[in-house]
Amino acid sequence: MLDTIIVRGLGKQFRRYHADRPRTLRDAFIRGLHRLKPIDRFWVLREVSFTVASGRMVGVVGRNGSGKSTLLKVVGGVVRPNEGNVEVHGRIGGLIDLGTGFHPDLTGRENIFVNGVIAGLTRCEVAKRFDSIVDFAELEEFIDSPLRTYSTGMQMRLGFAVAAHTEPKILLIDEMLSVGDMAFQSKCMQRISQFKAEGCAIILVSHDVASIQQLCDEALWLRQGRLVAQGDPEVVVGQYLAEMSTETQRHAAVTPSTPEHHEGLRDAGEQELFRVT
Amino acid sequence: MLDRIRASQIGFWCSCTLKLGGVPLSPSSTRRHKRCPDRSPRDANPGDSLMSRLKSLRSKRQLIYLLDLLRELVVRDIKVRYKRSVLGIAWSLVNPLMLLLTFYFIFHMVLSVDIPRYSSFAFSGMLAWSWFQLSLVQAAGAITGNRDLIRLPGFPLGVLPAVIVTTNLIHFLLALPVLLAVLVINGTGLKLTILAMPILMILQFVLTLGLAYLVATANTLFHDTQHLLGTLLQLLMFLSPIFYEVSMVPPRYQTLYSLNPFVHLMDAYRAILLRGTLPDGIVLLVLGGVGACLLYVGLKIFMRTSYRFVEEL
Repeated sequence: MLDTIIVRGLGKQFRRYHADRPRTLRDAFIRGLHRLKPIDRFWVLREVSFTVASGRMVGVVGRNGSGKSTLLKVVGGVVRPNEGNVEVHGRIGGLIDLGTGFHPDLTGRENIFVNGVIAGLTRCEVAKRFDSIVDFAELEEFIDSPLRTYSTGMQMRLGFAVAAHTEPKILLIDEMLSVGDMAFQSKCMQRISQFKAEGCAIILVSHDVASIQQLCDEALWLRQGRLVAQGDPEVVVGQYLAEMSTETQRHAAVTPSTPEHHEGLRDAGEQELFRVT
Repeated sequence: MLDRIRASQIGFWCSCTLKLGGVPLSPSSTRRHKRCPDRSPRDANPGDSLMSRLKSLRSKRQLIYLLDLLRELVVRDIKVRYKRSVLGIAWSLVNPLMLLLTFYFIFHMVLSVDIPRYSSFAFSGMLAWSWFQLSLVQAAGAITGNRDLIRLPGFPLGVLPAVIVTTNLIHFLLALPVLLAVLVINGTGLKLTILAMPILMILQFVLTLGLAYLVATANTLFHDTQHLLGTLLQLLMFLSPIFYEVSMVPPRYQTLYSLNPFVHLMDAYRAILLRGTLPDGIVLLVLGGVGACLLYVGLKIFMRTSYRFVEEL
């Protein structure tokens, strides 16, 4: 099996600037150009290595700010890594923002063409898939009305339908499995499994650990930009959840600031209890 | 919406409205950094000729794709601009006509500039200039106004400034019939040399696009470039022979004055439209050379900086 995504020793550094870093030319001249230099650099991702073979799906878990979305951006080529390298073979499709380029005043038909071309298809390819896209979105009757007359759900359906027809070799998914109603969600899931079966390499970033356990062949756990664990999704997600719960407990133990406060609370609770009984 | 369009058009001689010039939502595309997107070292063996044929097929598809993308985005911008307006596409005729009226009043009736057939003269210059000016003003927002497209994996960002310059080229073309009508009514008549117009338009396109890349890059790094740009463009307009003749500039400033490529471009437009002569070939060659250099440098800087765009926004 071919490795479609190869990530080796990936590191991404973000720069922290002066709080009053000049954002404009005027400021730059008034305050001096030296403030343009970052005062501090920190790593959002460090020493991350993994591969995704075609037809495999890798889930990424981690707390907020652990670098998950940055990882997707680097793999997608939107952001350049500071160290290590990323090799991708084939067209990248993203289920990150659905309906990029949609305009409310254009009709569904016009939007399919704009969005399809933006997503990487030529006009001819969009035309060939047009009927299938409309069919998938279940919007036959509305296809020539302006998008602003669509409900949010309809717009989302149209966005996903276009994305589902781009035939990427690599699919990057960021927290989007929770859109639309149940029926549409399961349709999306089906389509994603179909992508996988067709040999697409998929990276899924999600806080919904259940779906990662369900769908993925492998899981990565990121903590502060570093890979903590990687392997079988059941195991990795289990470790991640275990740490999360101990952390939550520690939080719960530490945060209620004063003992009096704590006791006061308990008293109130007991009183409440007594009153009820 | 209508107000915005009108403001942006009239804005070109009243630069305080430049800021209103409207940042169109135009997406574009070009692969950000080469990361061997579609060649795996593993398939390199099965025969190089096949490989290179595949590669050329790929680049051919890529070219078709870029043109399709350009087309879709330009069409979208134009459709969106006119879709919900009462006059529709006629706006691109109304605006230049109103401008013509204003210019005629100021420079012919109030200031009485001594140029024969002044309407033809001023109008031809104005149309070409407004294409240039609107393109640059809008190019400032090419990146900052398209956050969603910039985050899209594999989207060729380099298309964005090209979309803007092309959209304004279409507006220029739509206003051409008005120019021809003015030429006829004004008694200048139509000369055969008008057929050379596409050459000048290509030159102007290249020149504008090169600057558009620079402006788009600068405005992403420093968000107030657009305000500075407004002032600079106004300055450049008065330093270009839009509503006066090159010969009116005092002789001792002529050398300095002629460093502005627009002096020669405007003069070339006037030559084919008003005087019925062909412009100097050498001048056109130099203009083409300057344009090509600008485009090369502009695109290079744009591509080099583009990986930072997402972080800067």
